[in-house]
Amino acid sequence: MLLLIRAAALSSLIVLAACGADPAPGPVEQIIVREPGAAAAVASAEAPADALLAEGKAAFANCTACHTLEEGAPNGVGPNLFGIVGAGAGEVAGFAYSDALKGSGITWTATELDSFIADPAAKIPGTTMVAGAIADAAKRQAVIAYIDSVTAN
Amino acid sequence: MGKWSRRAFIGAGVTAGGALIVGVAVRQGNPIDELGPLLANGENEQLLNAWVKVDTDNVVTAVIPHVEMGQGVHTALAQMLADEMDADWNKVQILEAPADMQYVSDSIGRDFLFPNLQVPALLEPTVAGGILELAQAMGLQFTGGSYSVRATGQRAMRTAGAAAREMLVAAAASEWQVPESEITAADSMVIHARSGKSEPFAAFARAAAEQSLPAKPKLKSPDNYKIMGQPMARHDIPAKVDGSAIFGIDADVPGMKYAAVKAPPVIGATVESMNASTAKTMPGVLQILNMGDFVAVVADSYWLAQQALNSIDTRYSKTEGDGLDQDAIFARYAAALDEAGEDGGDTQTEAGDAVQSFAEAATKVEAEYTVPFLAHATMEPMNCTAWVRDGKCDVWSGHQAPVNARQAAADAAGLAFEDVTYHNGYLGGGFGRRSDNDAIIMATRIAKATGYPVKMIWSREEDTAQDHYRPSATSRFKGGLDKDGKLVSWDNIHTHLFDPADAPTVPYYNIASHKIRKVDVPMHLRFGPWRSVDHSQHGFFIESFVDEMADAAGKDGYAFRRELLAESPRHLKVLDTAAKMSGWGNALPEKHGRGIAFVPSFGSIVAQVAEVDMSGPKPKVTKVYVAADPGFVVNPDGFTAQMESGIVYGLTAALYGDITLKDGAVQQSNFHDYRMLRIDEMPEVEVALINGDHERLGGGGEPGLPPIAPAVTNAIFAATGKRIRALPIAKHDFA
Ligand code: HEC
Repeated sequence: MLLLIRAAALSSLIVLAACGADPAPGPVEQIIVREPGAAAAVASAEAPADALLAEGKAAFANCTACHTLEEGAPNGVGPNLFGIVGAGAGEVAGFAYSDALKGSGITWTATELDSFIADPAAKIPGTTMVAGAIADAAKRQAVIAYIDSVTAN
Repeated sequence: MGKWSRRAFIGAGVTAGGALIVGVAVRQGNPIDELGPLLANGENEQLLNAWVKVDTDNVVTAVIPHVEMGQGVHTALAQMLADEMDADWNKVQILEAPADMQYVSDSIGRDFLFPNLQVPALLEPTVAGGILELAQAMGLQFTGGSYSVRATGQRAMRTAGAAAREMLVAAAASEWQVPESEITAADSMVIHARSGKSEPFAAFARAAAEQSLPAKPKLKSPDNYKIMGQPMARHDIPAKVDGSAIFGIDADVPGMKYAAVKAPPVIGATVESMNASTAKTMPGVLQILNMGDFVAVVADSYWLAQQALNSIDTRYSKTEGDGLDQDAIFARYAAALDEAGEDGGDTQTEAGDAVQSFAEAATKVEAEYTVPFLAHATMEPMNCTAWVRDGKCDVWSGHQAPVNARQAAADAAGLAFEDVTYHNGYLGGGFGRRSDNDAIIMATRIAKATGYPVKMIWSREEDTAQDHYRPSATSRFKGGLDKDGKLVSWDNIHTHLFDPADAPTVPYYNIASHKIRKVDVPMHLRFGPWRSVDHSQHGFFIESFVDEMADAAGKDGYAFRRELLAESPRHLKVLDTAAKMSGWGNALPEKHGRGIAFVPSFGSIVAQVAEVDMSGPKPKVTKVYVAADPGFVVNPDGFTAQMESGIVYGLTAALYGDITLKDGAVQQSNFHDYRMLRIDEMPEVEVALINGDHERLGGGGEPGLPPIAPAVTNAIFAATGKRIRALPIAKHDFA
């Protein structure tokens, strides 16, 4: 709500309006990873064979804000989930887990994952995974199958 | 608020005939010819603004050429128009004018309002004085400088409203075959009391359009105001409460992707290289761009773009500013001021002989004050959505100068102004930040590179570190008192001068000899107008020094200012009102203090008294009393809110605001190290409004801010004897 309008500002606008200035510079370097709508490169290489995996892949969108799934990909808000099915809880290197999760002693079988994803805070009170729960049991099953399939490939 | 888009407008089914639109036009050949060359693009163009239309359903729509950023301007301007028109306030609608030069520069105004109407009456009453201000504010569609009500409202909205009413009355008179003088208007009805006839405005809208144009519509005098001066509820509030309001950041374009950006931490550096090997593999990433002056990642969501951006390792070029910190910048200021000495620098105003009167003064006082750089920290972070394709460009943002934004986008896209459509949303805070085009240009360049629509959002870190800042500044004073303790000599030299030019001057104080000068010093960071602009620092400098002079004279700060204002009754009344409200002079508990400050700015006169409690570990401002005279208060509720918000913003800065530099880069990044005032720190604010001159209005957005810092530091002095000469207050130790 400020800036006094001065004649100088006025005339400069009109100069601009009168002559089309040169376009601002384009990119020095442009890396096109993929086009919108195209599947991610990594994921497409591992395209799920059947409908369950396709559904699981779609449902994993609930997780991508915080988790990566590709082998060696960095931790985000949550740990990298590559190889999580069958692994012990709180074991991904370089991730600062909550004490609650770390001390839970859980092994991530499909059943354990299912109840965790259904309601993380109920399963492990004090966990810092505060979003991403999936209420729909079929979707949970699909997402776990998908996570497992990525690891298996 | 109705937001303009040609499609939405037609789609809304606005009636094609039988309606009236009224504008204030500025044309070549009018008595106001001198405006032509200033404002017109070509010789044959005319300038026109259309401000009001009456629909067949008797809805009066006020077309507002200013943007809404929480200051309530849409409502206040509509009040001015509706009152002069005698419209029914409950049926008044508001439409923000499109960002369209054509709208202001040729007859397309009628097309915008009535795409299908054959020959609307475009009214062109000659606007009386102040036309230049008006045309600037209107023509540029610039919202700032506390300008909207005092320029556009006072000179255009009211004129258009009055003209529309006169034309409706004339149409009714000829239809009813009665003299115009017997017809009145009220609540969007024309009424002939003697015959008992009355009809809605809409009934005469078409006929009104054929009436001759009133050359000088008669404006109401304040005793006839019905809507002006009333605390009408703000039109924009319901949508802001229920969440349906669309801000710039809410732009939703089918198929749009998101960009996160990072510019070099040191201003002026360029991106030398980027290593994006990790970013390339991260989820959702579409493109990674080195734009030379910044890096951008485009992804499926903002969050994914930002995460990928964070993983990029970027190298920047070296710049001259690389080693700088703020001490080095203040040292530059000091060196420039030293070099200017007693006669150097650019003199702004001078009367008498300040040097000699100082030499002869009975009491001499010298002081130096400094203020830091400040960021705007708008709650809505900087953002812009752009789509460049097929020789066209659409841009969505919240901008204080939509026409400027549109031109900036055109330049960035390499297109003509006409090929760009600019869509303005509400602004989640402007404060001057949203008058810069940087975000518009960046988003347009990204969108041009991708070819699909992209919403660019700055992280808060980027917002804090890449602002255009309120400059840091140093100001030095020499003041002299005569043997009676009267202020007779005032010599001030300070760094920088941006806007408004009168900010460092004190014409309202009666001081026999004064000299005010400035020196220009490079300040490394970019300048940006910040709420109240130069008044934000000079209010503090001037009112601190006045207080120091009062103290040297052994006088009370209020009494001392009274003497200086003795010949300006209007100013004095404001000062007296604030002092009286505060119970000035009454005893306060121990370690409590009261401070007063007086700063006229943007046409409004404001005095504030702050009370502080210094008994705790840090200062607590407990109460602020405000007296303000903006000439005439159009909406008391809105104006009071502006005084309060000026205090929130100004007190935040006075207590905490401090942008510092290390190795040329801004050190602050987010609200943990660039603090905002918290609710428990907000003083109670009491505001008294004074209508001192209904013909010359002042602004509301800015004038509430400048007095708060000195009122508080003067109060701290009263409580503790400690004089704060460098802001922010948090830097000082009161233990
Ligand atoms: C808002 C961010 C967020 C979202 C969304 C999210 N998570 Fe998490 N997740 C976390 C955090 C943080 C942790 C670590 C919790 C702790 O330390 O207590 C975690 C932990 C986990 C763990 C345990 C990992 C280990 O190493 O023990 C699994 C399994 C998991 N998440 C799966 C998922 C799945 C599947 C989804 C999607 C359906 C999901 N998460 C969505 C943040 C998130």
